[in-house]
Amino acid sequence: MNAARDILRQLLRDPAAAVGLLIILLLVFIAIFAPLLATHPEAIWDMNPRQRLLPPSDTYVFGTDRMGADIYSRILFGARITMVIASVAVGVALLIGVPIGLISGWTQNWLGEALMRVSDIFLAVPQIVLAIAISQTLGPSIENVILALSVTYWPWFTRLVHAEVRSLKNETFIEAAIALGVPTWRIILLHVLPNVASPIIVRTSIGMGFTILTASALGFLGLGAPPPAPEWGRMIAESREFLPEAWWYALAPGLAIFLVVMGFNLLGDGLRDVLDPRIRRAGARR
Amino acid sequence: MRDRHNDILDLSRRDLMAYAGAAALTAGTALGSATPASAQAKTRFVFANESDYDTVDPHAAFDVGRVAIRLNIYDGLMRWQKNPAVLEPWVAESHTISPDGLVYTFKMRKGVKFHDGTEVKAQDVVYSLERILAVGKGAASLFKSMVAPGAAKAIDDYTVEFKLAKPSAIFLSIVPEIHIVNSALVKKNEKGGDHAEAWLSKNSAGSGAYKITQFDPAIGFVAERWPSHFKGWGPKWIDEIEFRAVKDTNTRVLGLIRGDFNGIGGYLQTDQLNRIKANPATQVLEAESMRVMMAQINTTRAPFNDVHVRRGINYAFDYDGFNKEILGGLVERNPTPLPNTIWGVPKDVKGYSFDIEKAKAEFAQAKVKLDKPIELAYLTGFQQSEQAAQLLQNGLTKAGVQSKVVGYPWPTIVERFKDPATTPDVSIYWISTYYADPHNWVGEMFSSSTAGTFKNASHYKNPKVDELLEKALRSTVQAERAKLYEEVTRIVVDEAAGLWIYNTKWYGPYSSKLKGIVFCPIGSAQEMRTAYYES
Repeated sequence: MNAARDILRQLLRDPAAAVGLLIILLLVFIAIFAPLLATHPEAIWDMNPRQRLLPPSDTYVFGTDRMGADIYSRILFGARITMVIASVAVGVALLIGVPIGLISGWTQNWLGEALMRVSDIFLAVPQIVLAIAISQTLGPSIENVILALSVTYWPWFTRLVHAEVRSLKNETFIEAAIALGVPTWRIILLHVLPNVASPIIVRTSIGMGFTILTASALGFLGLGAPPPAPEWGRMIAESREFLPEAWWYALAPGLAIFLVVMGFNLLGDGLRDVLDPRIRRAGARR
Repeated sequence: MRDRHNDILDLSRRDLMAYAGAAALTAGTALGSATPASAQAKTRFVFANESDYDTVDPHAAFDVGRVAIRLNIYDGLMRWQKNPAVLEPWVAESHTISPDGLVYTFKMRKGVKFHDGTEVKAQDVVYSLERILAVGKGAASLFKSMVAPGAAKAIDDYTVEFKLAKPSAIFLSIVPEIHIVNSALVKKNEKGGDHAEAWLSKNSAGSGAYKITQFDPAIGFVAERWPSHFKGWGPKWIDEIEFRAVKDTNTRVLGLIRGDFNGIGGYLQTDQLNRIKANPATQVLEAESMRVMMAQINTTRAPFNDVHVRRGINYAFDYDGFNKEILGGLVERNPTPLPNTIWGVPKDVKGYSFDIEKAKAEFAQAKVKLDKPIELAYLTGFQQSEQAAQLLQNGLTKAGVQSKVVGYPWPTIVERFKDPATTPDVSIYWISTYYADPHNWVGEMFSSSTAGTFKNASHYKNPKVDELLEKALRSTVQAERAKLYEEVTRIVVDEAAGLWIYNTKWYGPYSSKLKGIVFCPIGSAQEMRTAYYES
C-alpha cells in the first residue's frame, strides 16, 4: 500500500502525468455519470430532423448533427463506448498475452518458440489492417471491435513479458529459488510476475490510448458500433460531408479522441518514469 | 489459360496509351477524316460510382449501378433515348408486330461491327437472348414471363424473330436489355456449358461505342473509344472513359471539385449538390425523371407477413422530416410505389403519414410479438439510404419496436435478395426507370414472377395482384392498363407491402467543361457516346 502511495506521489510531481491522470479520471467520471450530465439524454437514439446541423448554442452546447441530435450528449455517452471497448480489449489482450509471455519466456523449448512465432505472425501485419479484416469479416458491432482489438493486441504484451522473463531467469534470486526446490508455478507467480508488473502497467496505459485510436479508426470506417450508437469515430466520419460549414460536428468528437488518447499517453509516460528507473524521459524530474 | 484477350487487359498503362493512340490514328486515316481531335492529347472521362462494378457481364445486371457497362460497351436492337424517353431503333432498322401481338420481327442494320471486327448478325441476337434466359440474372425473370428458350429465331443474317408465349405490353420496352454479345467469341470461351459466365464477367464481347481495355472488380473498368461504332461520332468525343467505384461520398464530391473525377453518381444530398453548384469548375445538370425511394419489406416471414406490422412500419417513418428537412425539399413525397408523374397512379390514394400513435396501435394488433430487432438494411456508399434507415429506426424506437441498422454494398444485397431467407427484413433504396411503364415499378415490385430480383425484395405473393398484373401485361390499350395498375397500387398500398418515400428529379454532377451529356431516364445519362469537353 505504501508503495502505491509512493508511486502516486511521484506521479503527481510530474505535471504532464498529473494532467494525463486527471483527463482519465474525468473520462471515467463522464462515462459513469453520462445520463446525469447530458442535456439531452435521449440524443443517443432520438433524432429530430427539424433541428439538424445547428451551431453550438445554449441549448446545444456542441451543436447538433445531421440527424438533429445533440452532439454534447452524444459525446458523453460515447465516452462509455470508448471506455468499454478500450478496457475490455486491453484486458483480454492482457489475459492472453501475459500468460503466453510467461510460459514462452520461462520454458525455452519448442512450445515457447512456437508461441513466439505465432505472436510474430500477428506482429508482422499492422494492427489496424488485421483489425479491419477481422471486424469486416464478422460484421460491424461493439463486440466484434473488442474481439478484433484484443486478438490483435495481445502479442505486444507477449513480446514484452517474454523478454523480461528471459532476462529475469538468469538472475541470482531466481536461480536460488530453483536451487531451493520452489515449485515452478510459485516462482513464476511470486517472483517473476511482480518483477515484470511495472512494464506491463506502462504498456497497458499506453495501450489504452492506442486501442482507443484504433477503435475510433474502425468506427470511422463504419466497422464500429452500428448507428445510432454515439461512437466518436463514426461521428467524425459522418461529419466530413458537412465540412467546413458545420465545423462543430467534427470538432467535438475529434477533440474528445485527442484528449483521451493524449491522457493515456501522458499517464503511460509518467508511469514509466516512476516505475522503470532504467529508461527515464529526458528532462523528467526524479 | 491465358488467351489473347487477357493479354490485352494485362498491358501496362503506357502500352495501353500507345495502343489506344495508334488505334485512334488508324481510325482517323481509315475514315479519311483526320479530325483535329485525334491529333490532340487523348481526352479522358473518369466517373466515380457509388457502388462496385463486380462484373462486366451485360446480362448479369439490370440496375443503374452497373448500367454504364450495358450502355457503353454493348448495343441492343433498340434503345431508350431522350427525355421523356422514346424507344428508338438501334441495331435494328425497323420492326413489325404481328396482329395477334405474338410475333415481333426485327430488321437489322448491315455492317454493325463487334469490337473484334466481325459483323453483328441475327444469330448473335438469338444467342444473346438464349444466354439471358439460361444465365437467369439481370432482366431474365422479366423475359422468362414472356418468352421461352427457343423463342428467338434468325430468319436470315439480318432478320430476327421473337415468338412470345402470350401478348405483352412491355416486351418492346425491354428489348433494349437484349444486349448483343459476339456469339462466336463467347462460345469459344464457354466452359462446361456455363455460357461463358466466368469469362464474360471479366471480358467484353460487344459492339458498343467503347471497348473495355482494363477491368478490376475492386476498382472498375476503363474503356477506349471504338471508332467504328455504327452510330458514327460527332465532331468531338472522349477517347477513354473510366468508371470506378468510390464508396465514400465525400471522396466523390471533393474528387469532382478537385478535378480527379469528371462526373460522379447523383444520389447526393442538398448540402453536397449546393456545394458542387457553387463551384465554378463543376456543374449539376437537372432533368425531369422518375426515381422512387422506397423500402422493401420482406413479406415472407413473421412478423412481416402480418399486415399490421407492415402498416406500423409505414406509420413510423417521418416522411416530411426526411424529404423536407434532411433533403431540404429536393424531392417530392411519393405515397405509392408508382412515381406520381406516370400514368396508372390512383390520384386519391394518400398513403401513410408519420404517426407514432397509429404505428403503436398497428403493432399492438400484430399476431406475432415483435421480440427480435428488425433489420433495417441500407446501401453502403449511399448516405441518403443510411439516414433514411436511421430515421425509420428512430420512429420504430418511439413506437416501442427495436431495430438495427445494417449496411450492405449494392452487389451483395442484390445477391441476398435472391433468397427470401437471406433477404433483409427491410431494405431501403431506389427503383429508377428501366423502361417508362408502370410495370417497371408496381408491376415488377409486387408480381410473384419477379420475386428475388432487386426490384422485388418483398417476395410479395398475392394471387389477386398477380392476376391483375398479368391482365395489364396482356392488354395493349393504355386506358385499360392504367385502370389495372391503379387497382394493383390500391391493393399494395392498403396491404402496406412496402414503404414509399419520394420521387425525384435527376441530378448529374459533372465538371463544367463537360458537354453533350444527353439525359434519358433509362440509364441515368451514363451513355458517354455524345459527351465531349469544351475547349
